[in-house]
Parts: sequence; C-alpha cells; structure tokens
Amino acid sequence: MLWQIVVGGVATGCIYAVVGLGFTLVYRTLRMVNFAQGHVFMAGTFLGLLLATRWQFPAVSLLVAVAVAAYGIGLLLDRWIFRRLYHDHVVFVVGTIGLGIVLQNAVRLFFPEPVPFPKVFGERIVVLGSARFQVSYVWVVALTVLLVALLHALFAYTRVGRAMRAVAADPEIAGTVGVKVPRAIGQTFGLSFAVAAVAGVLIGPLYFVSFDMGDMVGLKAFCAAVLGGINSIPGTIAGGVLLGLLEALAAGYVSSAYKDLVAFALLLLMLAIRPTGLLGYETPVKV
Amino acid sequence: MKHVAIVAALVLVLVSGGVSESGAAAPIKLGVVAPLSGPGTSYGLGIKQGAEMAVDEINKAGGVGGRQIQLVVVDDASNPGQSVTAMQRLVNQDAVDLVIGGWGSSQVLANMEVSERAGVPNIVVGATNPKITTAKNKWTFRVIQTDSVQAKEIAKIGVQVLGLKRIAVINDSNDYGVGNKDAFLEAMDELKQKPVEIQAYNSSDKDFTAQLTRIKAANPDGLAIFGTIPGAPAIMNQARDLGITARFIGTGGLANENLITLAPKASAGTVLTTLFHEDVDADGRAWADRYTKLFGGGSQPARPVLAAWEYRTIRFIAQPCLQKAGTDKGKLRECIATWKGKVFGVPTEVHFDETGQLVQESVLVEVKDGVFAAYKRK
Repeated sequence: MLWQIVVGGVATGCIYAVVGLGFTLVYRTLRMVNFAQGHVFMAGTFLGLLLATRWQFPAVSLLVAVAVAAYGIGLLLDRWIFRRLYHDHVVFVVGTIGLGIVLQNAVRLFFPEPVPFPKVFGERIVVLGSARFQVSYVWVVALTVLLVALLHALFAYTRVGRAMRAVAADPEIAGTVGVKVPRAIGQTFGLSFAVAAVAGVLIGPLYFVSFDMGDMVGLKAFCAAVLGGINSIPGTIAGGVLLGLLEALAAGYVSSAYKDLVAFALLLLMLAIRPTGLLGYETPVKV
Repeated sequence: MKHVAIVAALVLVLVSGGVSESGAAAPIKLGVVAPLSGPGTSYGLGIKQGAEMAVDEINKAGGVGGRQIQLVVVDDASNPGQSVTAMQRLVNQDAVDLVIGGWGSSQVLANMEVSERAGVPNIVVGATNPKITTAKNKWTFRVIQTDSVQAKEIAKIGVQVLGLKRIAVINDSNDYGVGNKDAFLEAMDELKQKPVEIQAYNSSDKDFTAQLTRIKAANPDGLAIFGTIPGAPAIMNQARDLGITARFIGTGGLANENLITLAPKASAGTVLTTLFHEDVDADGRAWADRYTKLFGGGSQPARPVLAAWEYRTIRFIAQPCLQKAGTDKGKLRECIATWKGKVFGVPTEVHFDETGQLVQESVLVEVKDGVFAAYKRK
C-alpha cells in the first residue's frame, strides 16, 4: 500500500513541480508572480486535446508541438500584454489574474463539461512490486526529469540561456554588456508557457480535462515553488514532489477528506522554519 | 389632407396597440435556478431543456387560463454562493410567481433560504439532501427522492439482490455525498453488515489513488460510490487501474450519461437508483423520444433524467395548480401541498408528504452495453 501511495504522490508532485517551474522561471527574471500559470497549464491540455483528437498526434510529437506552440504564444503575449504590465508588480499580478480568467472562460465556451483525454501514452498497466499504475505515470516522471535536464542544459550551455540568466541576475548590467533584455524576458515567458503546457498534456490522459482544472493545480504549483524556493529550479522540483507526496501520504494514512489541511499545515510549518524555501536563497537588496 | 391621414393612422395604431396590450393578461413568471457552468453543467442543461419543452408546449396550447408563461432561467455556476444571488435575482428583481429547478444539495440548501423568506413556492428537482424538505421549510417542495431513501434502497439491493458480502464506501465530502453515506451506513446497520472500508474525497480532487489503495487493501466485492461527475467516473477508472474488481453501486449522482462517456469500460455493471428511466412505461418512452428529437444532435448529448422531472413538475403539478389557484402565492402553495396524481415514469400515484417531499418508488438501472438499462428487481 505504501508504494502505491508513493507512486501516486510522486506523479502528482511532478505535475506540481513542472507547473511550478513556470512560476520560478518568471519570478527569477522579473521578481514577479504570473498568476495565469495554472490556466496556461489548462489551456495547454486543451491544445493537446485538440491536436490528439483532431489530427491524431502521437505522444512525442504531441508534446513537442504543444511545447512549441505554447512557447510561441508566450512570446506573443509578452509582446502584446506582459511588456506593458511588468513595470509594476501589482499591475502585473492583477493583469495575469485577468488573463487567467479570460483563458478559462474562453475554454469554457467550447468545453463547458469535463471531457476524456485520449490515452496518448498507451493504456498499459505497469506493476511494480505491490503498486499498479498506468503507463502514463512513467511518462510524467520521465518527462519531468528530462525537462529539468533540458532546462539545465539551456541555462548552462546556450547563448540564449546565458542571456536569460544574465537578465535574471541583473537586467541593467546585462543590458549594458549587450544582452537584449526585453527579448530575454519574452523568451522566459515563452519557456514558462511551454513547461506548463507540457505538464497539461502529461496530466491529460491520467484524469479528465475541464476548464477549471488549472485553479487548484496552479495554486498548489505556486505553493510547491515557494516551498522549494521560488528562485531555485531544483528547489521547485523538490517542493513539488514533496507537496505531492505529503498530500498522498496524508490522504492514505491520516484522513482522505482533510489531506489538503494536513499537507498545507506541514507546509506552513516548514515555511516558518525556513522562509526562503527548501533550496531557495535570499536575494540581497541592492542600494 | 395628407397630414390628417397620417395623424389618423398613427392614432389608430396607438389605440389598437393599446387595446391589444390591455387585452393580453400579464404573463406568469416561472423562475429556474440551474447550473449552466461548473461541474453541474450537464444536470443544469437537462433542467433548462425540460423547462423550455414544458413551457413551450403550454404556451403553444394557449397558456394557463389565457396567460402565457414566461421562463426566467438563471445560472448559479454550480456554486452555493452564486446560487443565493441567482435566487435573489429571481425573487426580488424578476418577481417570479414560483421557482422550479435547482441542482446540487449545497446550492439548494443555500438558495432556499431566500425563497422561504420571501414566501415563494419553490419546487426542487435536482437535490437530494434530506434537510431540504423538513416541516419548517413551508415553501420548499421536492419531487426527486432524498438521499436517505435512495441510499437505503441501494444498500438493500446490494446486500439482498446482488449478494455483496464485503462492501466498501467512498463519498464526496459535500452535502450530497455525506448525506448519502450516512443513510447508507444506517441501512447497512439494519441489514447487519459492516462496510469493510469508508473513505472520503473532495469534489475538486482528481487523484484518488490514496483512498482507493486503502479500499483495495480491504478486498471488497462491492464499492458504493456517493459522488457526481467528474469525481465518480474518475474513481471508477482509477479503481479498475488499481486492480479493484468490486461491483460499483450508487445513487442518483451517478445517473448521468456522462458517467458512461467518461468511464466507458469501468462503469459497466454498475447498479444504481435513478430518478427517471424512459422504459418504465410507454408514456415515458414517448416523452423521451420527443425530448431527444428536440435536444439531441447538439454538441452535448441530451440528458433526460432531470429534464423529465423538470418537465413533469411543470406539466403535471405546476400547470394544474396555476390553473386552479392562479398566482396568489399562498393559494398556489396550498394547492401544491395537497396535489395528488399520476406522472409518467412512476408506476403508482404520487403526492407530497407533510415535509413537502414527493412520495414514490425508486427506479433501478444498470450500466449495460454503454447505456443505462432498466434493472429488474427480483
């Protein structure tokens, strides 16, 4: 029984982690929180649903297509909207909440009810010791690992990634040494959209998809990012997996009806002890 | 001369317009609160369609006592808070003569306070918590069976007809799920059987691995699911994935065609109490055929269960009472409270008891070959 709960918890946690990465990417660069992140995740699922049902995209090309499309949409939205908002944190927060509501209601127009997502990763049941789970769980965990590896490679070895890191460290200095700051910020938004949308496609075959699925996941992903340290990519991953595990264990061993209460009470306690999150660090204030 | 003619014509138009306007009686206003968004959408659409069908038929046949019925449908977004606002709108702004509708126990328990206080007859078609119809709720009636009747019925069927020996229970932790679970446990007690496991979940949950793992460990041969869409079909799918082979049983919350759409394989063999099935009698079949013809073929499949209750409530209860008592709210309430009659789909004559609950026999169905088939009790 323990293993079954651990597998379920880790998979849910990976989704929180990947959606949480979207928060982290934007936060590292702008010190601002994009509250539309959960709805971008939801929109990504529906984009995947469209591609998978209308054009029968197989698993890998579906993930790539959704990631590329979401990246493009992120770039466009940066140019049209975000660029006008991020001069001020409050304006940005309210703007992104608005964007989230618009996204949600646009999807609701076409899909007012929950719909099943095609089993793009297959319907096989994997048996691992005493645990049984859909093969989709393996994809969720594997893709999370792969995404983290890709992000690491991007930030460590490519020009684009280094430019984004430079902007995150100090946009003013990055600008003076020739980095195109607005472009790097746009790419950061593109990337945050891409990871959230990929998470959406990963979770689709496990559950049904509905226009309101981003609410709770978005909120928990944000908590995961804060728990792990919102300015740290490994921290966000750790925070997501930890939150997923806590929830599953609380549901399995304490009370299924109050699992959120148990999980979030623990989260509060941890934050009280370590306010910067598990692997987060304090950003020194420049004078 | 020309001007005089124009003025005369204008006067004529005005006068004749005025005459025909005062000749037509003011319409009767029928309010409907229904979820047209959120998790209850599929139920709400059925309620709305049933109301439209009934009102359309009445108006085409000349209305009630020469007065047309004006339908006012308000969306409550499957949310108790918004349900209160929706009812306030109907009662205060639209000043409706009566309300027929409502889905979701939490929503109805919240919004009925408004109609009770304002003294507007409110006939609930889509909520099953026992607390909705009590002697102190003078203005609230309900046509579908309560949780307690349905849950007790399914406990009896599970133990005595299906021969289940080890029943586990999983319930939504909202008013609907808890109400059902409590009545079910009470009935199990009377049947001298103890459930092997009891688990709860939250309406917004997507993953039920933890609860189902506990249930699997108890090795049940039956699993009673007290929840609605999308929780219930998700539980069925995930239970089968985990290797739980127990037979699913449940109550009206499962009686939604979307259950089969969302859990096509896992839902097979599920036995449940429902509120309407078209194959109970010929009139029910004829109505269902007309209904599917009207509302089938859209982007959403037609959902007859609550549509049938909304339709029958308007045609068989509200219409004769409006005819007899008019729109005086006190007289209308009195007429509904003492009403007695036949509606299609229910074998015996039905009436409201002193709490405002319609007394009737429940209908059983089984999920078979991708549809709800009438289940014969032995």
